[in-house]
Amino acid sequence: MEQQLKKPELLAPAGNLEKLKFAIHYGADAVYIGGQQFGLRSKAGNFTFEEMKEGVDFANQYGAKVYVATNIIAHNENLVGAQAYFKKLYEVGISAVIAADPALIQACRQAAPDLEVHISTQASIANWKTVEFWKNEGIPRVVLAREVSVQEIKEMKEKVDIEIEAFVHGAMCISYSGRCVLSNHMTARDANRGGCAQSCRWKYDLFEDGIDDDAAISEQADEDYTMSAQDLSMVEHLPDLIEAGVDSLKIEGRMKSIHYVATVVNVYRKIIDSYFDSPDQFELNPEWVDEIWKAAQRSLSTAFYYNEPTHRDQLYGKPERIPKFDFAGLVLDYDEQTQIATIQQRNNFGVGDEVEFFGPNFYHFKQTITELWNEKGEPIDRAKHAMMITKIKVDQPLNYYDMMRKQK
Amino acid sequence: MQCYRPELQATAKDIDEVKQLAEAGADAIYIGDAQFGNRLAGHFSIEEIKTATAYLHERNKRAYIMINTIFHNNHIDALTSFLTELKTIKVDGIVAGDPSIFQIISDLAFDIPLNWHPATLSTNYQTLNFWHKRGLRRATLANELALSAVVEIKEQVGFPIDIQVHGMSCIFQSKRSLVTNYYNHIELDYHQSKTRYIKEAKKAETHYPIFEDQNGTHIMSNEDIVMVDYLAEILDAQIDGLKIEGMLKSTAYNAQIVAIYRDAIDTYLADPEQYKMKKLGWKQAIYAIQPNQRKIGTGFYFKEQIY
Repeated sequence: MEQQLKKPELLAPAGNLEKLKFAIHYGADAVYIGGQQFGLRSKAGNFTFEEMKEGVDFANQYGAKVYVATNIIAHNENLVGAQAYFKKLYEVGISAVIAADPALIQACRQAAPDLEVHISTQASIANWKTVEFWKNEGIPRVVLAREVSVQEIKEMKEKVDIEIEAFVHGAMCISYSGRCVLSNHMTARDANRGGCAQSCRWKYDLFEDGIDDDAAISEQADEDYTMSAQDLSMVEHLPDLIEAGVDSLKIEGRMKSIHYVATVVNVYRKIIDSYFDSPDQFELNPEWVDEIWKAAQRSLSTAFYYNEPTHRDQLYGKPERIPKFDFAGLVLDYDEQTQIATIQQRNNFGVGDEVEFFGPNFYHFKQTITELWNEKGEPIDRAKHAMMITKIKVDQPLNYYDMMRKQK
Repeated sequence: MQCYRPELQATAKDIDEVKQLAEAGADAIYIGDAQFGNRLAGHFSIEEIKTATAYLHERNKRAYIMINTIFHNNHIDALTSFLTELKTIKVDGIVAGDPSIFQIISDLAFDIPLNWHPATLSTNYQTLNFWHKRGLRRATLANELALSAVVEIKEQVGFPIDIQVHGMSCIFQSKRSLVTNYYNHIELDYHQSKTRYIKEAKKAETHYPIFEDQNGTHIMSNEDIVMVDYLAEILDAQIDGLKIEGMLKSTAYNAQIVAIYRDAIDTYLADPEQYKMKKLGWKQAIYAIQPNQRKIGTGFYFKEQIY
């Protein structure tokens, strides 16, 4: 008899409250956010407790969960106030924290024993014995290192009864996460406390010892040396991770835009649901892949999931040209009688532009804008002002939270 | 009160270096098998580990075995066999940084002193106390700590603490073959035997060694840590182990460095005034033998970091 597969959680990043709402509305089962302390993205929106509360209330309406990243590698002085912070997270209704530093794991368990702790990818968990260690510590879930293969995940799931969270999409550390202090050494910014300067993506000159100091290999080859990696995408291979038993499929990107988050979540939601509708008949729809490319920022790779990555998984030279799309407008309302949508401007658009509307459940249609009005109902040529309210005549129905994108 | 005497520790690439560094005054030597040790100065077979350990024990010195790789599934069985063999050799400790080690030595009922060394991750005393409850008996701190933080950690834990006082530090490890990948991209033959370094673009003064091995790609610091003239602060704090990282250096260099630190530590403990007078001399002696392009600094011991 075939084993019953559990539908994995789709976990999305939410850099701020608005992104949280979009991620959940577009189909995320859970989101992870950063608070004001102990998180690694000092430049992401980072929620106040009030915003967290609002986020949790919103998530509850959808039956979704909110996790908080507390994944710094702390120095002595950073641990002040940790217990109070975890207690507060529990009180506002956060479902789990994602931590790598045992000092924070311990602080959380002491202050809020019922708040789940998930071990962060920053802890570089790459073997089943370490997974077993955390299981024996009473940890319900581990986020794996990005250096493990599908086969290795399968073995971990066979040997240890624990939830496994694995990245499926987004930018990646090229190093073992947490084991890179390039940024500390090159810029005096502490990577493991949120100051990462992304030095791995810089350009370098590479030399072989014993040759003239002016004669860099990179100079001779006319190609800068870099460690920069392509982004991860498992969009074409998701059933492999589902069948390996991954419990939570994680999308990277707390710094990414609303358009990015909504688009990527929408695609992965569609794939997961299609697979579970009929696993045996599942086939990849090329439209899902096309859709992913509308949000892509770099070339895409499956990283370590099948083979050791090669030079084809790196980013050398000029970046591949990827058509870029702007989030042009947010649908606030739609009048069935008049077929007129109310749109809040997010980027310049106007009459004559071809735009694409999309919404949850992989709803899509293209539209050429023929008629455009401002808030007062006066016809205008272009919507030039940020956040201005406009009205557009559209061919198909729309809903609040649907989005309008436009190719740059 | 027990008399404080720190352990002067050094890494060795082969048996000859073990002997020379012991002779020069090291109290303990780090060695390992390249299958399990990360960034070793050199590979030791199990027979060589046996020989080196016996040699050190005859001289009342210690052998620590590095098994500090980030392990993947395929390491686990082999590591278990390796540790079973180590049991019969009576090494003085193992150095590891992957939590699997706590499970494995407990499964094997192997009562071996464990020195916890997860590279960049040992940065606060609460974390170290957490691992102490799980069985570590000694810990090596991250190199990215201020000396004041080191002192505070030492005050807050009840087990020995080791810090690096000399040599380069690893600043990056990727599992990918990032040098080979580049050579493949530019279609140039890659020869493993050559040594390489990278420079930040337009920063002629930088020089970061880069190399590949079975654990991936490693990038090393631009400067060597040299703390010979700041030993007073370290010894006053009664730091237990002072480590000399000797990777990518010649045996002759490492032996001289060990001798200098031996002299400096012994002088300070006997007569701090004498140490004060001699410390610049030791530093100059190090300058004199420093390889080309290896600058000297104090790492993060006195440097602020922002985040």
